[in-house]
Amino acid sequence: MDARYDVELVSVTKQYGATLAVDAISLRVPKAGYCCLLGPSGCGKTSTLRMIAGHEGITEGDLLIDGRNVTDLPPWARGTAMMFQNYALFPHLSCLDNVAFGPKMRRVKRAERHRRAREFLDLVQMGDYAKRLPNELSGGQQQRIALARALIMRPRVLLLDEPLSALDPFLRVRMREELKRLQRELKITFIHVTHAQDEAMAMADLMVVMDGGKICQTGSPYEVFERPVSAFVARFIGGHNVVPWRNKLIAVRTDQCVLEPPGAVPGVRGWVSNVEYQGPTVRVGLTTKDGLEVAAVLRDDVFKQRPLSTGDEVTLSWPEASAHHLAA
Amino acid sequence: MDAQAKLYEIPKARAIRRRHRRLPAWTVSWLQILPLTAILSLMFALPTALFLAVSFFDYDRTGIYPAFLLDNYREVFTSSSTLRVYGSTLKFTLVVWAITLFLGFNIAHFLIFHVRNGKVRIVLFLLCAIPFFTSAIIRTIAWIPFLGRSGAFNQALMGLHLTTHPLDFLLFSDFSVVVAYVHLYTPLMIGPIANSLSKIDRSLIEAARDAGASRWQTMANVIIPLSKTGIALGSILVMTQVMGDYFIVRQMSGGQSASIVSALSTEIQAMQYPPAAANAMVLVVIVAVMVGCLMRVVDIRKELVK
Amino acid sequence: MVDRHPRQNPIDARPWTFYALGMLFALYMLFLYGPMLVIYTLSFQGPNGGVTFPIVDPSLDWFRDVWRKGQMADIPAAFSRSMALASVVSFLTVLISVAGGLAFRRPFRGGGVVFYIAISSLVMPSLLVGFGIGLGFQFLGLQPSLFTSALGAQLTWTLPFGLVTMFAVVNRFDRSWEEAASDLGATPFQRLRYVTVPILLPGILGVALSAFTLSYDEYARTTLTIGARNTLPLEIYALISSQTTPMLFALGTLTTAVSFLLIGTTLLFLVQTQQRRQWHRGPDVEPVGAWTRDTTSNL
Repeated sequence: MDARYDVELVSVTKQYGATLAVDAISLRVPKAGYCCLLGPSGCGKTSTLRMIAGHEGITEGDLLIDGRNVTDLPPWARGTAMMFQNYALFPHLSCLDNVAFGPKMRRVKRAERHRRAREFLDLVQMGDYAKRLPNELSGGQQQRIALARALIMRPRVLLLDEPLSALDPFLRVRMREELKRLQRELKITFIHVTHAQDEAMAMADLMVVMDGGKICQTGSPYEVFERPVSAFVARFIGGHNVVPWRNKLIAVRTDQCVLEPPGAVPGVRGWVSNVEYQGPTVRVGLTTKDGLEVAAVLRDDVFKQRPLSTGDEVTLSWPEASAHHLAA
Repeated sequence: MDAQAKLYEIPKARAIRRRHRRLPAWTVSWLQILPLTAILSLMFALPTALFLAVSFFDYDRTGIYPAFLLDNYREVFTSSSTLRVYGSTLKFTLVVWAITLFLGFNIAHFLIFHVRNGKVRIVLFLLCAIPFFTSAIIRTIAWIPFLGRSGAFNQALMGLHLTTHPLDFLLFSDFSVVVAYVHLYTPLMIGPIANSLSKIDRSLIEAARDAGASRWQTMANVIIPLSKTGIALGSILVMTQVMGDYFIVRQMSGGQSASIVSALSTEIQAMQYPPAAANAMVLVVIVAVMVGCLMRVVDIRKELVK
Repeated sequence: MVDRHPRQNPIDARPWTFYALGMLFALYMLFLYGPMLVIYTLSFQGPNGGVTFPIVDPSLDWFRDVWRKGQMADIPAAFSRSMALASVVSFLTVLISVAGGLAFRRPFRGGGVVFYIAISSLVMPSLLVGFGIGLGFQFLGLQPSLFTSALGAQLTWTLPFGLVTMFAVVNRFDRSWEEAASDLGATPFQRLRYVTVPILLPGILGVALSAFTLSYDEYARTTLTIGARNTLPLEIYALISSQTTPMLFALGTLTTAVSFLLIGTTLLFLVQTQQRRQWHRGPDVEPVGAWTRDTTSNL
């Protein structure tokens, strides 16, 4: 019962019939932190989020929120609020009534709950849209209403289910900033599920990488990126080469690799399979004779000094200090 | 390589010869809808216009005469039996509507929200729907040996020692009429309501739970408003069936009660067409008003067509 | 504070409303099928038995009675008339309402009027429809008969029904299948024949079946438009007023059996086609979406 943490999962398992979606995971999320659950499709991150919310029952294990064991409690008794992936705005209610829904269920009087709802509409900069219906709004606008609707319940923990996947790239970046800002202002914990590692790295204080129903690694984005614990994490987080080297498995950041003429230095020999121009950098993909695929991300002026094309033979090399041993 | 090339060759000659004009889209629709429109105009719209006209005709023992008289309508509106019959039919309509709504909604709710297995749901739904496609006459008279004084139900009750005398009111009474109507027409409620309920996005219900709604609050604030169209559709179907019935009420009430249409059919059999037509028009107008009111709740065209 | 023992989490358990509604459903099933079962049993009544229980030496006598051409009713003839009419009604309904359903795929002028005429035809009290047609025939000096007036009257009921069914079916049809067909060189007729109709076939069969059964059991629109020779429901109707013997029950059992046979075989065929067409999802689909449905049943 540690009140240092807003959310604690103790050996939580979720079983659907014969399928084990979440396998005895334990996690501690510090107070007022931004936590991202990251992983590929089917890894159990959404199941975990829904168990924290109370929309799925926990098969085994315990869930503590702010020190209280809430494992068997229904959603509204937990101090959590959820923002759904498809927003789930009530189509037959105006934006104002959507946001005022929670207080209405608590039997708050009309004048009072409308006042509170307007407050939260202003918080998400949607004050002018109070009378509109959800289907008259764009995706980004609907999301803000969904956010306001969740926040008006003053939850301790806000749960977000892939909030940015439906948005276009520019809107996505803007919403990232807004969500971070809100979290800082409100000083509550956000738990955010995503499959996009750039999103998780940009937003998280605590990053949780999941796969196959288990947690692979937890840590700050810096820790996970610098010191991935396994080949899976290294590959999933991106920007790494996973290479068998001297009887061990190592991970090296692609932007710390260099390309030398074949055989000039110790490294991995291969043929260029593609060259991708990325603006400030160029990503050169290689295939080795064993079929291993690696890449190097070079600064564009460095690449211009020695331009490469498909089929060229090169050696991929890196500074000793950049190599990071992987457990598995 | 040659055979392959032939496969992908664009048939030039055909392309030149085939200069057929494409019909504009709406013409195609008109052609497709033509048979339906023709038959319904001929067999429904025209006959309705016909008895609208006949309702103004004059008549006597020997025949009917074209005229424009309001006498028939006057008779309809001033006759006391008209009032009685309308009152009786409307009473049945409301009672049956209420019961089928209650049953239909709860059963549809059970099927859509509580049955988890998709296959089981389909089977149960079929079990509810199939009787509708068997003979209504048989299903109505099936109640007679069941509810009669020496019928199965009374025998069961007496066998279980729940009563000493057979219950009289079960058959040939208002009770049996309502029972028969509910028996026949509940599937008409279950169908549209189940259809509406299945269209409700599940995440809306979760969102309501998340915001703290209790079971009943979710029902009142989310589910019922979003199933309005199904309820309205089902209501239209049930009410029009009850108002237009002439067989069930006569059978099950033992001839004691009459319905609007059964009174009408008596006039038709007596070949008194003009008053029958006037009666018919009044009924049509009332039904049209009822349906019109219910259609304010739901835009049927939007619901059904897309 | 923290304990570990596997138990059914109350969130996943069935709420009390499940059991309450389940009971209601079970009672409704009894209500729906009970009286029919009574009739089926009573059809086996002995020759000296009455129209209620108890069953006095069970026999097939009343079934035999059905086939005999009595003075009050001629069942076999009425039956063949019913079957013939129902077949024609079903065939025409399929053709006309499939075309109609396809017509409504795009908005067209007058579409609203046609739609409301169809709905009006559906909700119009049945006897009045027959009345109107009968009147019309009388004025024109024509004799009402099976395949003219009766057919027309029944179509006013089955066509709107079929049309509405086709709306639901056509809505699930993806336009891009037709576009792909055109792309590959199909003419409009080929497209209709090889793509549109085969894909719509289960729905079309549904329309055919419902039109057939609705016509087979129809009495209210038919009674004033049939002329002298009755269809089966009207023969039954005549029998009810004149005599009530277990023969009626036997007749009821038989005619319902015919309906069930038809419905059953069509459904079996439909199930088979649907199963073969079922798209099988690959293993990379996130399973959680499917489970969302489960938890919301806690209502």
